[in-house]
Amino acid sequence: MNVLKVSRWTIAAFVLPCLLIYISLVFVPILISFYSGMLDWNGIGESTFVGFDNFVKMLTSDAVFWPAVGRTFMLAGFSMLIQLPIALFVAILISRYVRKPNFLVSSYFLPVILSVVVIGQLWKTIYNPASMGGMINQLLIMIGLEEWTHSWLTEPKIAIFAIILVGLWQYLGYHVLIQFTGIQNIPADIYEAAKIDGADGFKADRYITLPMIIPIFKISVVLSFIGSLQSFDLIMVMTGGGPANATDVISSHMYKMSFLSQEYGYGSAIASFLVVVCLAATVIINFLFTRLDKKYT
Amino acid sequence: MNQSAAIPAAPAVATRRIRFSFAKMMVFAVLGVLIVTQLYPLLWLLLYSFKTNEEILSGNFFALPSQWQWSNYSAAIESGNYWKYLSNSLLVTSVTMVGVILLASLTAFAISRFRWKYGQLVLLIFLLGMMIPLQGTLLPLMIMFSNVDILNTHLSLILPYIAFQTPIAVFILSGFMKSIPHEIEESAIMDGAGVFRIFRSIMLPVSVPPIMTVCILTFINIWNEYILAATFISSERLKTLPFGVNSFVSQYSVNYGAIGAFLVLGALPVIVAYFLLAEKITKGMVAGAVKG
Repeated sequence: MNVLKVSRWTIAAFVLPCLLIYISLVFVPILISFYSGMLDWNGIGESTFVGFDNFVKMLTSDAVFWPAVGRTFMLAGFSMLIQLPIALFVAILISRYVRKPNFLVSSYFLPVILSVVVIGQLWKTIYNPASMGGMINQLLIMIGLEEWTHSWLTEPKIAIFAIILVGLWQYLGYHVLIQFTGIQNIPADIYEAAKIDGADGFKADRYITLPMIIPIFKISVVLSFIGSLQSFDLIMVMTGGGPANATDVISSHMYKMSFLSQEYGYGSAIASFLVVVCLAATVIINFLFTRLDKKYT
Repeated sequence: MNQSAAIPAAPAVATRRIRFSFAKMMVFAVLGVLIVTQLYPLLWLLLYSFKTNEEILSGNFFALPSQWQWSNYSAAIESGNYWKYLSNSLLVTSVTMVGVILLASLTAFAISRFRWKYGQLVLLIFLLGMMIPLQGTLLPLMIMFSNVDILNTHLSLILPYIAFQTPIAVFILSGFMKSIPHEIEESAIMDGAGVFRIFRSIMLPVSVPPIMTVCILTFINIWNEYILAATFISSERLKTLPFGVNSFVSQYSVNYGAIGAFLVLGALPVIVAYFLLAEKITKGMVAGAVKG
């Protein structure tokens, strides 16, 4: 039981500054966003209240919207089906075979802390045509696969995959680190007990590591999912959603509608959609993992 | 697996050792390849930044530069406002950090140590905010800020940065402060210390480790933040480093090496910090993720 009995004013002095900044700059904007999603407004002139028109337009007649939603979920899917399993596998390998893992894990982690601007521009350079010094195309020419060269970021079918690869690359180390830490925290005596019972090596991983790592794995899933939903910097830096909207995701579409086409009302409607999807995703992932966790514990 | 029991003991041990070392080789091959994929692009950028245009275009990207072109760096620094961007980023990030620590620790203290009804509710409100995407607030914030006329100032970045960093900070700090034994403040009250005194002389010093974690998380997030900066700032002299780097690189096209140099310069502060504090940074980021 907390012992400090203080006056109402003291509580206010401690809590209000932070709470007010937070509510007025995070919550209030979200509410405003929901409201302006119902306006027909270009940001400067008169606004007219149009009810759910913007939302209807978004869901039914915007040719860019659903592909952008699809791409957003594709990002999340690639991250969860490719990046996270690789990260878990690598984390298991490191914790089993590497005696001094710090150097290795910190090296994998280095791209995580770099600004997305640097990462995006770096990979843009890597993807450049060979005639502009792009590494991948130069490599392909060097090993005699000239017909495989592409202008990776300007071909509509390839561009989004080129971007996804960068996202997977940058955050792999984050998930390795998170899951490695999770494995380290599994008590060693469980493995010793299992060894006596004949479960060793990958068998031990199957029956001990995997079930025990579920709570940590959930964190990776939430981070990668929310990260993919909010993926925006990378796309704006690398392609700006182009060529011809071929790499647009929800947030880049929202940004372009709001700030380039000046359709504030419509942009707000997309922003509201994004907020709802983020909240829903977090709730659903938590629900699924609670069930999974119950199954194993 | 089970058949090995049938084989006589000695050969089984031998095959196991061979298998073991082969497995080990494979493991190190995998981990080694991964080191190359994770670090080589960065090394490549470093080499690129020291090459002449001819060397970059020649297609021989493995090669070291024949002469290290430091001139790329001077060209980058002269044509871009690197020092300006850097000092802006330092200013914005440090003010945000101080603001987050101050506000969040006050609130965390109140949530975890005061006897009042709404502590958990306040915490819940903060938790809810962790799931709200920053992009959703861009447009309304811009309109709010243009109404109070602070658009295109550093304040228009610092305020939302503080607001978006406080939830995780409050969460980490209040979690830690809950674990501090109550006897501490009981004896402090006996000695006649007031609430603010307890906060300043006991809680803050004791909470240095989680405060470090919060500092690291805030630093990495805010130092690298690009969207808000690119949306709210338009003056060249106010740009932060990521925004500055991006606008320089997208506009400057004469000299490939200089572009590379600017990217290296853009990454350098964080990399230096990482070399000095790698362990602290990785721990802090994991703590941030796990507790978030």
